[in-house]
Amino acid sequence: MTITPGPQVAATADASGVVVIPKRRRIDIWRKYKEEKLFAFGCTMVAIMLLLALCEILHLELGLPTRITPYDPNFATGNVSVPPPPLADWPGLLVDTIFNGAKPPHWFGTDNSGLDVFSRTIAAPRTDMTIALVAALVSMLLGTFVGLICGFYRNIATEVVMRISDLLQSFPVFITAMVLVALSGRQVWNIVLALAIVYAPIFVRLTRAEVMSQSVRGYVESARAVGNPEWKVAFRHVLPNSLIPSLIQVSSTIGFAILLTSGLSFVGAGVRPPTPEWGLMISLGAPQIILGEWWQSIFPGVAISLTVFSFAAVGHGLEEDYG
Amino acid sequence: MLLRFVTRRLAVAIIQLIGISLFVFFMIRILPADPVARLVGLNATKEAYDLAAHNLGLDQPWGQQLLNYLGIYSNRPGDGVLQGDLGDSWVTSAPILEELVRFLPITLEFITYALLIAFLIAVPMAMAAATKPGKTADRVTFVWGLFAGAQPEFWWGLMFVFFFFFQFHEWGFPSAPAPLGRLNPMVSEPHTITGFILIDSLLAGNFRAFLDGAHHLMLPVFTLVFVVSGAIIKMLRQNMIRVLQSDYILYARSAGLPSRQVGFYAMRAAMAPAMTLVGIFYGFLLGGAVPIELIYSLGGIGEYSIRSILAFDYPAIQGTVLIIAMVSLLIYLVIDILHAAIDPRVTF
Repeated sequence: MTITPGPQVAATADASGVVVIPKRRRIDIWRKYKEEKLFAFGCTMVAIMLLLALCEILHLELGLPTRITPYDPNFATGNVSVPPPPLADWPGLLVDTIFNGAKPPHWFGTDNSGLDVFSRTIAAPRTDMTIALVAALVSMLLGTFVGLICGFYRNIATEVVMRISDLLQSFPVFITAMVLVALSGRQVWNIVLALAIVYAPIFVRLTRAEVMSQSVRGYVESARAVGNPEWKVAFRHVLPNSLIPSLIQVSSTIGFAILLTSGLSFVGAGVRPPTPEWGLMISLGAPQIILGEWWQSIFPGVAISLTVFSFAAVGHGLEEDYG
Repeated sequence: MLLRFVTRRLAVAIIQLIGISLFVFFMIRILPADPVARLVGLNATKEAYDLAAHNLGLDQPWGQQLLNYLGIYSNRPGDGVLQGDLGDSWVTSAPILEELVRFLPITLEFITYALLIAFLIAVPMAMAAATKPGKTADRVTFVWGLFAGAQPEFWWGLMFVFFFFFQFHEWGFPSAPAPLGRLNPMVSEPHTITGFILIDSLLAGNFRAFLDGAHHLMLPVFTLVFVVSGAIIKMLRQNMIRVLQSDYILYARSAGLPSRQVGFYAMRAAMAPAMTLVGIFYGFLLGGAVPIELIYSLGGIGEYSIRSILAFDYPAIQGTVLIIAMVSLLIYLVIDILHAAIDPRVTF
């Protein structure tokens, strides 16, 4: 798979009239995937999590038989606080469940209201991934749009917008998110909106800086010279060439959004129980941890840890080639 | 020169604080929360509801509410922010400033220790990584930086509690204390002077409280160090590599200075931007350490903020955000002054 970002310009003259031939900036993601273990690991994990989320969402929204959780993630089984089976029994149990049609065991145990931890852990991407993905995309769209306008048209109005964006960025992130979510009702879409507002200033800043450096390039002047209206210069010519920093930032923003979503649920300002959500599962298991019931909160935590790390690894890989 | 820099920064900070206060004030009122219903309950009569709204001052237009909050042309008893009064909490009825003064040092204390330790760990590790790029130390610190920067700190906190409290106890090892507060209830609390329990107990000569306080701070601080150190190491390493390639290091080398001295010069230059990062972490953790405070029941400003947010306690939310913003801005200022002290190229 080859991605060539933005329209390619053969040769342009920069502000001082020197002809610059732009480097063809392309990354070969497939080559990178084969050669870099860390990047490959990140991509694979992200793909798995997306797949899990997709399975659950297709089942819930369209009623397709794509549910792969052995138990209903929202339905208590009646077996309360069951520890997971010892590792030595796993192969035997696996064979029994798959070939002999036995009732699947609680692989990761059950929590103290009887919900199956394994089912909830693999059903949770539907909440976490959806919130994080949509929030990151919305904040990117919003931030890129505002950043483009503020970088392209420099006047008092856009200056005021920038100051507001700076102000927003100087806010304590976690508290702002808690206030936004708790006071607007702890619904999934409110969390998405809150996260989008919290993360948008980063994209405003990134895009604006890139737009400002692109606007003085020769191709912008050429676009103007052939009679393009200003808005068309901004959206058709400057925007596609200013997207790269934001696109790189998206990956790590999704990771941070997962951390923030689960952190909010953990302190009680996120999604409501019994929604399958990693942070909420950890928080439900937290009082049990000093009693030695480790299984309720360890597995969702491993899931968060791996997912966020994967997004960071992907983001780092892209940054290396592009940034 | 320094004086002019500080005054200018303070002036900007005051404008920022005004902006933040206004923003929070209107943000919590635009959002569709009903604090009156939260206080009187959903089955309250219309009269009870209206009375409560009147007592809280929420029956007034927003403009008048803002004036009451600020303390100019106020039509309610009591002072406003401009007179240095943040109002009373709607839940506890206690003055918010007093509550914040009690809770803020608790959070400040464990964040300060954690950031200090993280920085002290990060410096030698980054130095080892940067002086031999591509070698084992470099690879380890690189992966560590990427990994620790992307971890749910509350989950690690829980895991540490499980391992060092529960499991060590099971095995009969000396274990960490139960995550239930700052001191063992059997230990008498030292008289509050700074609010930092380790400093207070030393000032009072109460060594039992000192040891017990340190024992209780161990895990929360360790958790934070674990998560925060990654980002600091990553940044220090990048800076070190950049600085080591610069001309003045080449000059120092060619002048025949011993490599340890060259390394020291490079570290000094690399440390300054990393200190800015520490400052940013400070501001972030003041409000962002809520989960860790909850896990260890430390009862700092984070716990106070989540409690007031969930109770829709408007004055408390406004006060908390204002105080946190104020402390962060102050810390940024101190860091910038330190920055100039370390890096001779920075002038005010």
